[in-house]
Amino acid sequence: MALRLTALAIVDSFAVLLLSLLIRDRLWLLAAILLLTTLMVNAINLSDRLYPLRWMSPAIAVIMLLVLYPILFTVYSAFTNYSDGHLLTKAQSINRIEQDTYLPKGGVTYSWAAYRADDGEIILWLIGGEGQGYLARPNEPLQSATPGASGVGGADENGFPVSIEGYTRLALVDILPILDSTLAPLEFGEPPLTIKISTIREAAQRQQRYVYDSEQDAIADQSTGITYFADEDQGYFTSETGDSLNPGYQVVVGFRNFQRLLNSPALRGPFLLVFGWTIAFAFLSVVSTFALGLFLALIYNNAFFPGKKFVRALLILPYAIPGIIGILIWRGMLNQHFGVIAASMLDWFGWSPGWFTDPTWAKVGILLVNLWLGFPYMMLVCGGALQAIPNDIYEAAEVDGAGVFQRFWNITMPLLLVSVGPLLIASFTFNFNNFSVIYAYNEGLPPIPNTATPAGYTDILISYTFRLAFQAGRGADYGYANAITIAIFVIVASITLFQYRFMGMWEEVSKNV
Amino acid sequence: MNKKMFWLLSLTVVAGMLLAACAPSAELTEAPEPTAAEPEPTAVPAEPTELIVWADANRAPVINELGNQFASELGITLTVQEMGFGDIRDQLAVAGPAGEGPDIIIGAHDWLGQLVANGLVSPLDLGAKASEFLPAALTAFAYEGQQYGVPYATENVAFVCNSALAPTVPTTWDDVQTLADELESSSSGATTAWTIQTNDPYHYFPLMSSFGGYVFGLTDAGYDASDVGLDSPGAIAAATWVEAMVDAGHLDADVNYDVMHALFTGGQVACIGTGPWALQAIKDSGVSYTINSFPAGDEGPGRPFLGVQGFMVSAFSENQLLAQTVLTEVFATEEFMSALYTAEPRPSAYLAVRDATSDADLAAFAAAGADGLPMPAIPEMSSVWEAWGNATTLVITGQQSGEEAFMNAAAQVRTLIAGE
Repeated sequence: MALRLTALAIVDSFAVLLLSLLIRDRLWLLAAILLLTTLMVNAINLSDRLYPLRWMSPAIAVIMLLVLYPILFTVYSAFTNYSDGHLLTKAQSINRIEQDTYLPKGGVTYSWAAYRADDGEIILWLIGGEGQGYLARPNEPLQSATPGASGVGGADENGFPVSIEGYTRLALVDILPILDSTLAPLEFGEPPLTIKISTIREAAQRQQRYVYDSEQDAIADQSTGITYFADEDQGYFTSETGDSLNPGYQVVVGFRNFQRLLNSPALRGPFLLVFGWTIAFAFLSVVSTFALGLFLALIYNNAFFPGKKFVRALLILPYAIPGIIGILIWRGMLNQHFGVIAASMLDWFGWSPGWFTDPTWAKVGILLVNLWLGFPYMMLVCGGALQAIPNDIYEAAEVDGAGVFQRFWNITMPLLLVSVGPLLIASFTFNFNNFSVIYAYNEGLPPIPNTATPAGYTDILISYTFRLAFQAGRGADYGYANAITIAIFVIVASITLFQYRFMGMWEEVSKNV
Repeated sequence: MNKKMFWLLSLTVVAGMLLAACAPSAELTEAPEPTAAEPEPTAVPAEPTELIVWADANRAPVINELGNQFASELGITLTVQEMGFGDIRDQLAVAGPAGEGPDIIIGAHDWLGQLVANGLVSPLDLGAKASEFLPAALTAFAYEGQQYGVPYATENVAFVCNSALAPTVPTTWDDVQTLADELESSSSGATTAWTIQTNDPYHYFPLMSSFGGYVFGLTDAGYDASDVGLDSPGAIAAATWVEAMVDAGHLDADVNYDVMHALFTGGQVACIGTGPWALQAIKDSGVSYTINSFPAGDEGPGRPFLGVQGFMVSAFSENQLLAQTVLTEVFATEEFMSALYTAEPRPSAYLAVRDATSDADLAAFAAAGADGLPMPAIPEMSSVWEAWGNATTLVITGQQSGEEAFMNAAAQVRTLIAGE
């Protein structure tokens, strides 16, 4: 028990440390989930009634942190305007806007040198446009001065006195370490036109351009007098004439992203075409990979097949090569000018299709590539499942006079589908959102003419909507993308649910158990 | 139960103290803000003046060695973190707001609209240094009247021709078509005079601009997102010219970047539009080549997009002035700019280095881009690439007329910008 408590204590102290960091960074959602998870793990390990859950608690904790949090975050951002132009929080946005400065009309620019007294006080020697020198102390009016006067040393080649009595001239190496921390905040001269250091060479009567007023929740532009009011609906500071300040900030926008999706012209134009192809792509990918995989598995299930280990190893290769590389190789082979497949077809038939430019052949090409990528998995799965079918059933069937095909359709398939069926549905769901194959093959192209928003013949839902969210408007729109993700999730989930019902998958499994 | 709780609590405290001892304590407490009124006595340079620079693989070694050599004279250490050029923008958007980002980044000027809209970069004041740079490169790094970057290189495509197939370089697009007719009936082995990859607006733009076509209207205040020019008469005239090439059988439909260059180095096409990045492969192939300005359409020679690369200061840097100082005093020097040029030869944006370029090829690329137009940096540009690229594909593959394809592309862009 001591061991368990020690382990729990270590876990807890890590959690506390992590929590304090999260709270410091204001990541409330993640902090809340972490707290919840930690409390749960503690409860499970301390209460005797929850004893059976103890062995699951690490898994449950990990699921909560790694699965639940991203899902909650996705759902949350779908209701915000999180996007390019609205990445920052309101406080960060105000902070950034307040950094801007401007040189008011008649504002003067000086070159400067810094001097430091023993007590740390820093003064500047300023040289104006006409070469006039000034001695500047923080928060005091400038004093006209000339090098060589009493207490002031002679001028160097830039006109700055080499020394001032009671002060040491600061060299560049002394200035740089304190430039941002100490020198930049100092103000010299009289308000309102105070002088601040603006670059390593210049000090100027530059003033803060935008000032935030928390009472009005507005930002006033000091140079033009225009006031920009916080627009909590859009996440911008906006003037009465509709101009807004960069950067905007994140706000919660309710169902706006979903409304935008429903009203999008993209849902009218080629949507049905894209949706139809998505279903066809997913369905045909599953059927073709399963058919080929099963066929090969049946062949190699035969104990008398010569050299089957070697051939089977070769057949698993596509599974072992990273998919993206496999697709690139196929792209090369299908290339109309230099590809080996296109060249051979030209030799044999005097014709080769536009694997990337013709709408139909591009689809055929993708299905072929996906078949190549997917069949080894099906082969492995079917191979395993076939081993599990008892041989005596086949023997009985043979005795009863069943032929090869009868045995296949009446014994192999039904028994195989019991174990492989859920995997087929999973494979369908996976292909439904198989963005990488579509994008790596041809980016959804060739284009469909005359659509309201860009769309290609090989686009599936996810690649089509990817464009709406990331290649439109004013850049990436994560909030909108998450709303689209949720919509697609609903579609996939209902299709999957329907399939499970239709195939009676769960009942079948539980019956066997 | 009580005993258990006691054990757990005490163990947690002990383990927590151990962890706290190991953990960097500074992370738990926020550093006190320096107060303006009382400058702290700084007898010794207390803070180590370290700046973090994000740079790509070509630039990182130069900054690390030469940059640090210069910076150390100022008592500054540059810590260079190398990453893919394209990753820098996305990483900054994540790391900057979290307070873990760099002080200085390398970037392309066409990121600027997005970076400014996101509040990720700070304005700069180059002062007198401004006159040492190519004005067009400086302008490219200005956004809404503010300077945001110190440029180091410019890049653009030029009209590269095979001197054996095109002994006289076509100076108009009509010449290109004539050359294509000649090459088709000749025994040179070449199939056409000019080829372009499908779905590629960047290489297509010089053709479009030579006929007066544009993407966004250019005003004094920069590009105007409300003026989409993909269906301007010039853009349609250019597309109609392409259509005529397709009808005459002079254009291949299935061409990508690699194929385009393979066709050129294989002597199957006389001219392509490409940039300095392809030069090595062309030299290696042994093809004799010329680098020229783009042929002229109705509105004069084609003007390519000008891309400019430079240094910017992160808005989340706590050393704003120091970072700016490094940009103007360390990076904007002839020796450093020259080292950047050597590391990866591209026409320099720094005049002294640009003018001293002895490489005739690069000078020719620079000349072809002398009249180039900065690639629009406004965020609305992200609505353009796909629609525009699809339109070029539809015309090149002969599926639509030039007019139809570009009218629809412009309509798509307007829809996407409206964000409906």
